[in-house]
Amino acid sequence: MWTRQVDRETVQDIADFLYREALALDERRFRDWLDFLAEDIRYEVPVRVTRESMAEWELAPTSRIFDDTKATLEIRVRRLETDFAWAEQPPSRTRHFVTNVLADPIEGVENELLVSSNVFIYRSRGNEPNPSLYSLFRKDTIRRVGEGFELARRWAALDQSLINAHNMSIFI
Amino acid sequence: MPLWAVDGDIEASLRKVREGIEEGRFPARAFNDQTLFDLEQERLFSRAWCFLAHETEIPSPGDYVTRFIGNNNIIVARDEAGEIHANLNMCRHRGNVMCKSEMGNASHFRCSYHGWTYKNSGELIGVPYMKEGYQGHLKRKDWPLVRVRTDTYGGLIFGCLDPEAPSLEDYLGGFQFYLDFYLKQGMEGSEVHGPPDHWVADTDWKICAENFAGDGYHTPVAHQFGFNLGYFPSTGATHSQGWAASIPGRGHGIGLGHSPDLPPFAGFPDDLQAQMREAFTEDQVEVFSKVRTAVGTVFPNLSFLMQPFSIIPGEPGVRFVTMRLYHPIGPGRMEMYSWCLVPKTASQEYKDEAYRAYTLAFGQAGTFEQDDFENWTKLTGSAASTMAKDMDFPYFMGLESERDPTFPGPGHVVTPYVNDTNFRTLWGRWADYLTGEV
Repeated sequence: MWTRQVDRETVQDIADFLYREALALDERRFRDWLDFLAEDIRYEVPVRVTRESMAEWELAPTSRIFDDTKATLEIRVRRLETDFAWAEQPPSRTRHFVTNVLADPIEGVENELLVSSNVFIYRSRGNEPNPSLYSLFRKDTIRRVGEGFELARRWAALDQSLINAHNMSIFI
Repeated sequence: MPLWAVDGDIEASLRKVREGIEEGRFPARAFNDQTLFDLEQERLFSRAWCFLAHETEIPSPGDYVTRFIGNNNIIVARDEAGEIHANLNMCRHRGNVMCKSEMGNASHFRCSYHGWTYKNSGELIGVPYMKEGYQGHLKRKDWPLVRVRTDTYGGLIFGCLDPEAPSLEDYLGGFQFYLDFYLKQGMEGSEVHGPPDHWVADTDWKICAENFAGDGYHTPVAHQFGFNLGYFPSTGATHSQGWAASIPGRGHGIGLGHSPDLPPFAGFPDDLQAQMREAFTEDQVEVFSKVRTAVGTVFPNLSFLMQPFSIIPGEPGVRFVTMRLYHPIGPGRMEMYSWCLVPKTASQEYKDEAYRAYTLAFGQAGTFEQDDFENWTKLTGSAASTMAKDMDFPYFMGLESERDPTFPGPGHVVTPYVNDTNFRTLWGRWADYLTGEV
């Protein structure tokens, strides 16, 4: 039996937070996006491996597509601000669809919630008619700061093990 | 007269391509062409030594990974005695895929169709209804999984589909000298940090192989942001310094970038530096201590890069090593495998830092990798255009370069680092396979 542990209003606020974060990415306001991230954020996207159902893990414990801190995410943004980030010139058009937002308390931590969500990213480049599509599962840590929130950890696992894109020059 | 006549006599065209390479020309069409793709499958990937896996990916008995040589899916497994075996991932009964995972551990493989069962070494040990069905006409020893010849160097497992091909040692032809820089980081060598990044791209495998055979020329422009953000321990002014080494008649090549002010083995912790000085020969120490960037390709489709790198520009850095395999799946289309190799004897802290440097720079989201694949995908698309079939590219940079007689490493070694010599060696070998010279 399931019982509510986080009040509905908080869950809704957190969903709003995630939608606004996604909007900053999709509108390519990357400096604004950095403001959603805690100073001590850990930003991780593990490598998925196709394994048998009994295997110990499917998400490699030591392999990461992204393994970033606030400092390296800032570097990625600074790179996009130069005239030489060829991978995003012209830029990708992305749309992050965030759904199934659930928030759970973290035992012993007063001001943080474990927030899971499903994300579907549509990425269109140039006049290429076939977009890149990424389906992924996020398990984020979201921290309450005063009246607002910040992202303390992003952990996102792509559903594809062989990823259908020539590069990953967008944020997840 | 174009080098590559798509509608003409293929064998004659290939011979012309072969001649053109010596003169410093290579056809644009080579980077996206169905006929050449088919020929590569039959004449190159079916006969060359192709990389399968690193030994540290399958450290324990029963460990396996599945990989490809050409369009053949291969199981690479370590048996109970610790021996490595490579077998076609195809049941001998009706051809079902035996092993549908990319990696795992199993002492035997059982087909999910009729239940034929093989040891992980490939030996057939179980056939359901053997007596009732085959009535003594089937001998298990006659129907093992199809074996692929393997050999190893420095932890690299290679496979070869041609039983007549010369040995791996002969195939590498002295390039081992340079490979040691990547494979012998410290007294116990290198290991994979984890499973590889794996993605598909509308990119021809050959442009990746060429780039990593020592394309020092692209760096200041393709990765200009890196200079802009202070990532390079070289400047535009000194970037061309260094050597291009290649093994004529073998196709392997490496670019060795040199920065005048960079201390020897910069980025490696002191204890690792000491170990490397011990593990390497005197000549290797002489060469490697002067190297900033080492970027090389083992013909046909395996590459390495070692680069000193500070995650935050200006702060003390590490050296990361990436190993990559370009698996062709169609004309102008490939699967990319990208690993990070770390020194086995380094501290966990150093390994993780080197890995984080790798993910920031290379791998699918790596800032340098992103730009490379954008450029490579675009040029692969252009190569398929009808006008490109009449077009050659200039490959004559350094055509007059004299071999550096003082350089202590093997092969044909020229300066500067910005040079097409390695690419002529690479495509010469490619053309040797396609024309049937090998």
